[in-house]
Amino acid sequence: MNWHLLTPECLLVACALLLLAMECFRTTRGAAWLSALALGGVGLASWALWHQRHLVGTASHGMYLFDPLAVALKFLFLATTAVVILLTHAFVSREPRLRGAFYLLILLASVGMQILASAGDLLLVFIALELMTFSFYVMTAYVRTDARSIEAGLKYLILGAVASGFLLFGTSFIYGVTGSTRFAHLHAHLQQQAASPLLLFGGLCVLAGLGFKLSAVPFHWWVPDVYHGAPTPVTAFLAAGSKAAGFAVLMRLMHPLFGPLLDEEWVPLVALAAALTMCYGNLAAIPQTNIKRLLGYSSIGHAGYLLMGMAAMSSEGVSAVVFYLVAYAAMTLLAFAVVIGVSNAVGSEELAAYEGLSTTSPFLAATLFLALLALAGVPPLVGFFGKLWLLLAAVERGLIWLAVVGVVNVVISLYYYLLVVKRMYLMPAKQSTPVAVSLPLKITAYAGIAAILLLGIFQQPLVTFALNATRLL
Amino acid sequence: MSVGVLSVTLLAPLCGVVAILCTPSRATNWIRRIASTATLVSLLCAVWLCTHYDRIIGGFQYLERVAWLPHLGISYSLGIDGINLVLVLLHALCAYTGVLISYAITERVKEYYCFYLLLITGVFGVFLSLDLFFFYFFYEMAVIPMFPLIGIWGSHATPFSKEYATMKLTLYLTAGAVVALIGLLALYHFTGLRTFHLSTLHEYLIHHPLPVATQRWVFACLLVGFGVIAPMWPLHSWSPIGHAAAPSAVSMLHAGVLMKLGSYAIIRLGLTLLPEGAKFWLPMVATLCLFNILYGGWVAMAQKDAKFIIGYSSSSHMGYVLLGIATLTPLGLDGAVLLMFAHGLMTALGFALVGHIYDQTHTRLIHEWGGLGQQVPFVATAFVFMTMASSGLPGFANFVAEVLIFLGAWQQYKLQAMLAVFGVVITAVYMLRMVRTACFGPLNLTWTHLVDARTWFQRWPYLLLISTLLLFGFWPGFLVSTIDRAARPLIAHVTGDDSSSRMVTFEPQDSERSTLNSDL
Repeated sequence: MNWHLLTPECLLVACALLLLAMECFRTTRGAAWLSALALGGVGLASWALWHQRHLVGTASHGMYLFDPLAVALKFLFLATTAVVILLTHAFVSREPRLRGAFYLLILLASVGMQILASAGDLLLVFIALELMTFSFYVMTAYVRTDARSIEAGLKYLILGAVASGFLLFGTSFIYGVTGSTRFAHLHAHLQQQAASPLLLFGGLCVLAGLGFKLSAVPFHWWVPDVYHGAPTPVTAFLAAGSKAAGFAVLMRLMHPLFGPLLDEEWVPLVALAAALTMCYGNLAAIPQTNIKRLLGYSSIGHAGYLLMGMAAMSSEGVSAVVFYLVAYAAMTLLAFAVVIGVSNAVGSEELAAYEGLSTTSPFLAATLFLALLALAGVPPLVGFFGKLWLLLAAVERGLIWLAVVGVVNVVISLYYYLLVVKRMYLMPAKQSTPVAVSLPLKITAYAGIAAILLLGIFQQPLVTFALNATRLL
Repeated sequence: MSVGVLSVTLLAPLCGVVAILCTPSRATNWIRRIASTATLVSLLCAVWLCTHYDRIIGGFQYLERVAWLPHLGISYSLGIDGINLVLVLLHALCAYTGVLISYAITERVKEYYCFYLLLITGVFGVFLSLDLFFFYFFYEMAVIPMFPLIGIWGSHATPFSKEYATMKLTLYLTAGAVVALIGLLALYHFTGLRTFHLSTLHEYLIHHPLPVATQRWVFACLLVGFGVIAPMWPLHSWSPIGHAAAPSAVSMLHAGVLMKLGSYAIIRLGLTLLPEGAKFWLPMVATLCLFNILYGGWVAMAQKDAKFIIGYSSSSHMGYVLLGIATLTPLGLDGAVLLMFAHGLMTALGFALVGHIYDQTHTRLIHEWGGLGQQVPFVATAFVFMTMASSGLPGFANFVAEVLIFLGAWQQYKLQAMLAVFGVVITAVYMLRMVRTACFGPLNLTWTHLVDARTWFQRWPYLLLISTLLLFGFWPGFLVSTIDRAARPLIAHVTGDDSSSRMVTFEPQDSERSTLNSDL
């Protein structure tokens, strides 16, 4: 057994257990101390991962895969976790209750994502997804005094349970036909004989279960309410982390496994889902008056762009997806950082609270301006190249109609992002008190701006990273 | 890698942005100095390029190429030939004078100049790039700064609010851009070379042309996409509103240069890469552009707001440019590019002058002005120059350009040429009426407080624009021979007719005469 491959996960779990122990013995600590501890855990895990980044291998008879794709995604998840921990600081300081547990949940969700990145077996996928999602259920409903938070947690729990049901149901069919849930066995089976309808049905159910995590149409209904009701750092984690975790599984399942063998069945289906997801997310975002709902719908739209890369069913497409996942995490975390900053200062997440932000806080306004433009895909920010690569992958697959839908959606999304910019820059401020920005937020924002700007101009490092990740698929 | 002169031209404004970001926002004078220095560097580079470009060799010169993303065949690749050389000079002039005119901006100076210089960088990038990826990259980069520039520093274009104007402009231009992007991606895909490099694609397509049907729909994408910014009727409706709402320096760049990006892209990408598509669609453009010329002019006649008049006159004049391109004759193309240059300077001058008056009167309705010649003689004189140039009076570069276009059009589309000539009359009507109402007659006593451009520093941008227009009005050969060097091989490539390329001549007057004689 190659247990050493799991070192990053083990370190994270150890850190989580430490937090749990502290919670049990009611050692009251400040939020700064706890977040430093959690960050330390993430740092240790990253350090361990860095040392074994060149390893390729499997553990548990192919149930756990350690390859470049897993390494790349693990780095992405660790970075996302670190940023979320930084962003959580102000929120946890306000909540006197069970502070340690919140960080514990963040770390456990992160462990779930790490394992998903490596999952080589449908059952491991299920377990890891549950680990991640259960942490999210609790985090979403964390503010017991806020009815919206409770409601969001409940909705998420019910719909998440449905998704898990789909996943298990599909897995049972796949197991029934092939006699295994291991990806490698599945692959061997598909190469020997044509896919039976039962297998296809099982695959479809698995895709549906994953669709909930990706927030792809028609499995997106939970997104706006959950994004709206959850504490903002959790929303950011959901958008950047949970979605990427879903795509991690999809990347392993679709292209190498089903891809070359079941092209004709999957490509139109995924392309259609991509088109619908893009259109729905972007169109529904237009009338929103709450920034979290707006970003929630926009995250549905982005799931559509990412699905466009998946629909290409090529290693080019998967590389583009990896690139865009990293870009999207940077852009969306940056946007949420500003949302957190504004809501800390003004106490509101309504768009009306952003009126005249450019005069009360030029820094936050400029940051959000850049983040939204990057999300819209405006050069020289990183979203531009990401979208272009996804479009290119779709066009190379011959899906020109999908590329047309994609570019139309770029215009639609630009419209509602500009509506926010309009409020910030063109409307007068309601009150003139300057908005203070805390230090962790400032660090996050500067790092985020540097990332989306530099990676937008000098795309080469991230392109190499993405190509390297899909090298062995 | 050494930094070439083209990179300096392109990156000087960008360095300006970085420098301004590092300057405290209170130091407005320093910010202005940085901006004017940055654009002056670009202008000097452009002038240097004009004098050093080798007209005998022709083709792309001062090439720079750095592999950017080898995996996708993207390279940072700059080059200059007769066509974009002229446009770079135009843009450098407009950018520099625009920065000087912007000294009137006193609110949020730092942000203003950042956005303005970003816009300038983007436009330089489009003109200089020989890589489709960076072409598009810079194009989008030029469009987006317009949103805050108009939204924050603009003025309401009654009956439309500036918020409406800026949103409409940004969305129209982005929508156009993404339609064009589909065309570009299709080109990338169908050639199968995995390169975005223009010259490589061009050489490949000479020997392996795409199927005619493919060329037609890809060209349609480019035509519609870039036609929005050109602005080709009926896709023009964003432009007069946008011009009217924008602050004067932004209108200058916008009408002066940004609109030329559309026709430039059609020439550079459409004609070069898709000759069959061009042959199929351009006759239709020759008819559509009559709507630009006549309808645009007609609407301009009905306007009362000076910026709307110049705005509609711009879309009317851009109709001539499209007509010139549509002729697919060397004469027409020479005229089109020269008119882009001349019209850019003329319209930049017009917006700058209107801005000067508007900043003090806070109205742009010409019937409320009246008799300004007595109060602000310098500005009024410059205004007269502008109207003369716009009406295509001999002595201004506009005249030469329009004549070349009509000659070219006469060879191909006799009916359209005859109708288009009436555009000149319409232009004269609204321009002369504007100058009469605004500058002559008794002085409206409300405006006795108006201040003229008194110092030489204030007059310098106007003088620079007027003198350039006059210089190339009397000496068009310099520019026309440069343009011609690039236009002839291009037209020969599109029409597949070698005769026009063999007639290489460096004295365009001769070639005009010979074509005229052969016609007669």
